[in-house]
Parts: sequence; C-alpha cells; structure tokens
Amino acid sequence: MKKLFLGILVVSMLAATLLGCTPKPAPVVKYKVGMVTDAGTIDDKSFNQGTWEGIQKAATDMDLDIKYLKPAGTTEAHYITEIDNLVAAGYKFIVTPGFKFETTIFAAQTKHKDSKFVLIDGSPHAGDWTSVVGNNTVSIFFAEHESGFLAGVAAAQQIKTGEFGFIGGMEIPPVQKFNWGFQQGIAYANKNFGTSITMKEENVIYEGSFERIEAGQQLAATMYDNGVKAIFAAAGGVGIGVIQEAVARAEAGKEAWVIGVDVDQYAAGIYGTKQDKSVILTSAMKYIDQAAYDMIKAEKAGTFPGGKTLTFDAKNNGIGIPKTNPNLSAEIQASVATVFAKLKDGSLVVAAVQGDLIK
Amino acid sequence: MRIKLSKDSILSLVAVILGLTAGAILMRLTGNSPIEGYRYLFSGGAMNIERIGNTLATATPLIFTGLAVAFAFKTGLFNIGASGQMLMGGLGATAVGLTLAWPKPILLTVMMLVALFAGGLWGAIPGWLKAKFNVHEVVASIMMNWIAFWTVYYAVPAYFKGPFLETESRRLPSSASLKVPWLTNLFQGSYINLGIFIAIATIIIIAFILDRTTLGYELKAVGHNKHAAQASGINVNQRIVLSMAIAGALAGLGGASFYVGFASNMQIGVLPSQGFDGMAVALLAANSPWGVFSGSIFFGILHTGKGFMNAMTNIPPEIADTIIATIIYFAATSVLVERLWVRLKKKKILRFLEKSDVGAGGGE
Repeated sequence: MKKLFLGILVVSMLAATLLGCTPKPAPVVKYKVGMVTDAGTIDDKSFNQGTWEGIQKAATDMDLDIKYLKPAGTTEAHYITEIDNLVAAGYKFIVTPGFKFETTIFAAQTKHKDSKFVLIDGSPHAGDWTSVVGNNTVSIFFAEHESGFLAGVAAAQQIKTGEFGFIGGMEIPPVQKFNWGFQQGIAYANKNFGTSITMKEENVIYEGSFERIEAGQQLAATMYDNGVKAIFAAAGGVGIGVIQEAVARAEAGKEAWVIGVDVDQYAAGIYGTKQDKSVILTSAMKYIDQAAYDMIKAEKAGTFPGGKTLTFDAKNNGIGIPKTNPNLSAEIQASVATVFAKLKDGSLVVAAVQGDLIK
Repeated sequence: MRIKLSKDSILSLVAVILGLTAGAILMRLTGNSPIEGYRYLFSGGAMNIERIGNTLATATPLIFTGLAVAFAFKTGLFNIGASGQMLMGGLGATAVGLTLAWPKPILLTVMMLVALFAGGLWGAIPGWLKAKFNVHEVVASIMMNWIAFWTVYYAVPAYFKGPFLETESRRLPSSASLKVPWLTNLFQGSYINLGIFIAIATIIIIAFILDRTTLGYELKAVGHNKHAAQASGINVNQRIVLSMAIAGALAGLGGASFYVGFASNMQIGVLPSQGFDGMAVALLAANSPWGVFSGSIFFGILHTGKGFMNAMTNIPPEIADTIIATIIYFAATSVLVERLWVRLKKKKILRFLEKSDVGAGGGE
C-alpha cells in the first residue's frame, strides 16, 4: 500500500516538473495553409507526400505557416473533424489529397464558408456523385492515362523484350487509368519503336489497399518468379513493398525493375554497395506538388479559381515522367519527349477507358 | 463487492495517470509543453457541445467492442475478433438499410437485429471450434477477422456500390441511419447518433446478466475454473459457445453503430481499429461493464482531441499518435498494477503468517 502511494507521489512529482515549463511566445502571424492526410502516412512516397511537398515548397517561397493533420480513421466524420481542427486553429486554406475527401469537402465548403479548399483527385458531392464545387473550393483532376502511357512508352523501349506486370492499389478510376494508359503505351512502343513487350492477364492485379507493404512484396515476388521483368506499381504503400522486393532481387544480382507512380520514386529504389543504382526505371508522375503549389500561389495573388474543376494533363505540363531518369538512355528520353509533345498538341490521344484492355 | 469495485477503479485510475505521465514525458522529449498539449487534447475532446457529441460518437463503437472483449473475458475467453464481428454486423445492417424502404423505427430495429445476429454468428463460430475441437479462440477469431474483411471486400462492390466508386457502398438514406435530426441539432452538427443510447442500454443489460442471473454466474464460473464448473454440472462447452456468441453480437451491434451511425457507408479494405481498441478498453475497465463505459469515453476524448492538439501545438501527428498509443498502452496495464498490488498484499500475509508461526506450506 505504502509503496503504491510512494509510486504515485513520485509519478505526480515528475509530472509536475514536466508540466512546469512555460509555453513559448506566439510567433508572428503568417498565412496559414493546412492539409489533412488520406489513408497512409505523410511519407508515403506518393499522394500525401506529393501534396505536402508542394505545400512545403510554397511555404519556403511565400513564407507560410503550414501544418498537416492525420485523421484517426478514413470516414467522413474523421476527415471533417480534422478540417474543423485546422479551421479552429486558423488554417483556413486547406488542401486534401484523394477521392475519399469528396463528401467531406462537400460538407466542409458549406460549414466553413470563410475557408478555402483544394480537393486533389476528386470533386465534392453529397454522396450522389452530383458534383457541387463551391465558390471556395477548387477540384483538381489528373490525366493518369497520359502519365501511364508515357511511362509505358519509356519502359518498353528500355527493356525491349519480355513480360511486364501491373500492381494497383484499390480498383478506383485514377489507378485504373494508370493501368490502361500503361498498356496503351506499351502497345504504342511495340507498334512504333519495334519493341516486343507483352502483358499477361494474370500479371495485372489490384491488391485492394494502399497500405499493405508485405502484400505488395508477395505479389511482386510471384510476378518476378514468373518471368516478369518490370512492374508498374500504382499502389501507394503496396507499391513500396513492390520496390522493396525488386531491391532485394537486384541486390542478389537478378533483373527486377519497377515503374514508380505519382512522384519521382527513384530514391525509393536505391540499392548497391555504393547506393548508386536504383530499381526504378522511371515514374508515371502526377505533379501533385505543382497543383498544390499553384493553388496556394493563386490564392496569395488573389486569383484563387474558386468553383472551378481543373484538369492537369500533358497540355498544361501537369503529368509526365521525371526530368532525370538515370535508368533510361538519352535517346529513349528524347523519344518520350517527342511522344509527350504529340500528347500536348493533341495529335496523339490516349483513351481514359478500359476498352479491350486488361482489367 | 463494493470494496472490490472501488479497488478496480483505483487501479484503472493509476494506470491512466501512468499513461498520461508517459505521454507527458514524450511531449517534453519532443520539445513541447505537456501542459499545452494536454490542455488542447482535452479541450479538443470536450470544449464545446459539438465536440462533446463527437467524443460520445467516437466512444459508442468502443463501448460495444469493449463489452464484447470484457464479456468473453469473464468466461475466460480472449475475443480478438471484435473487428471482424463489427464488419459482419455493419455489413448486415448496411445490406438491410440499403435494400428495404421501411419506416425508420421498424427499419432500424430490423437493422440492429440483423447486426446482432451476424456478429453473434461470427463470434459463435470460434466459440464452437473451441468447444468442439479445442481450437484456440485467439487463432480462430483472428482468422474470422480476415474472412469478414474479404467478405466485405467482395460483397460491397458486388451488391452495394454506387455508380462510380468501387471501394465503398452507397450512402445510406437518412431513413436508415442512426443519426436523427433532433440529436444532431442538439449537439450542433455533431456525429452523435442513437447508437449511444443503445450502448448504454446494452451496458445495463450486460451488467444485469453478469451480476444477477444464473447464466451470468455460470459463465463466470466457467471463466474462473472450467473443471470445477464442469464438475458442478455446468455444460462448459455450451457456455463457451454462448459466451462467444453474445460477445460477437455485442461487437456486431458496435459495427452497426459505426457503419450506419458514425459513418454513412461502408468502405472496403479497412479492418476497423475499434475492435482492437476494445481490448484496451476492456483491460482498462477490468472487464466491468460500467468501467467499459468510462474507458470508452476516455479513449473517445483522446481520439477526438488528438487532431486539435496537433493543430494548436507543434506536436507532429506521428508523435501525437505515439503519445495516444503510449497512454492507451499504459492505461491497459492496469492488470500489471493489480499484480503488483496483489503481490504486495501476499507478502504482507506471508510475513504475518511467518510471524505467527503457522507456516506457509510449500512456500513460493
């Protein structure tokens, strides 16, 4: 009994000393930009990270006070709680990445009329898919099929012959469009650049989540074992597992390539004793960071395009492969640039629908 | 009985204080002020009527899963499958809610009953496997979690999806939601729903079953000593199945409260974390039904207030998660605190026995 009370006494004394410090003085008030993360972490080397990097860049250039919050779950209630928190703390410009925020932003744009919202990869609606973009909201979409197409063209030319695979996260439009574009890109390269890349139906898989790293690893292992040379992983955390598997194989001297997604994932696939090689052939990028950056810049300049739905595609340089691709030869990069120019001027059109493509 | 209860409460409080202290140390180590941190954490969970509503709404599924774990514990069973039972309950309720267009009171009653039976079935299977083949309920109920996970993964896109999104069900019509306008308005737009009343009613019923009925007595007897219970004529196997079925039914109701109350649709690919938090709640509550209530409210405040603490201080979300996890972890160690307590007591008794020369038999 005595010991217990002694314990409590010690604990409370410790607590008292810890609590005793004074709070820091309030810093100078800057323009505040907030973000709520989607499922997954801020360093997911994908969507959350891309958005956050754009906000960070804006913070450096425009001297902003920035903050991101991580919801306790993935329901609308969880998301709106975090938006309420940001607004309560004075963060009245809020960027949210991902379609899961659609109904949340629909509610938030009415609830917080004095705040502004940027919804990346989605359009606000009440749950009935009738899009209602409020005057204080901008909805942004990307042409994933064009991005996947370019990555397919690039990867096919580099590997020339063999099997490719695709591992997606959830079977949702942005991921599906990456897949369909990628397959069209391979077909385009086979037809125009004399490559001979094939994709089998069993090597096109949607894992079903964006989180399970170990599942990505297992799926990739199976594909590589079955002779697949390169896997396009559009799968968030699952894609990280794919990259890990490829790195393990590359370390052992086996051929295993990955085509990254959303952001330039080159750094995620680095291996070798000198850390100078990477399994990332190239990445099918969406310039999420640019989108976030542009919107903040517009807001600061007083030209926030509230109420609009914007599409980032080849035409406005909103998608593409990274500027530097150490694993692609200079000729291939030049060839991809020509294809990009064709997408840009509209002489080449990539379908955003499945058609007769796999899944 | 009264003395025992108050002892349990003291142990839980000590555990909570330990947890908060550990959290404070973590905040201090990351260069933040614990006073500020806790001020915002708790005000974030309770500073206005809307947030109080949200705290209660967050606590509601935890009450059910906490009860689900605690109830099985009483029979000596570790129900780790509350997440899966929640999913099945939620799926059942969602299926009914999206299919039938009955008047709200009847529809909601049917939805809750379906959730109850779906969860109950999901609990009864591991119970039956345990009773019949001595398959450990931990293993069986974990497996059932994944079966439920993939069942939802298949069923929602196949039967209940909207026109565009493959990954979640259609939104429930308001006639099939536990949210009711008067309650939402009373709490100024909060996510609170009828689930909280069902939860409180359930606590009363479970407390009554455990303390006042033969069934409760028998279940506890099985938990204390299976063989003694068997010898005294209790059908142990049957009681194990029943206990797991009731536990599953409780979690099933929790699933309904979460998917048709807190949320308005079902997402696939998510194993609800409330199933696991329920274990922490049950541990903190020392398996007492009303303890589960307090524990859930406490966790509700932590979960609801975390984001506000993040927004108002420089504590990064990851550290905040760690802090919450630490608080929960320490809070759930009330069992350890109790062991310490018992040990201290034992030593005293031994010392007393030695002194009075009675001897302690074989000793320790």
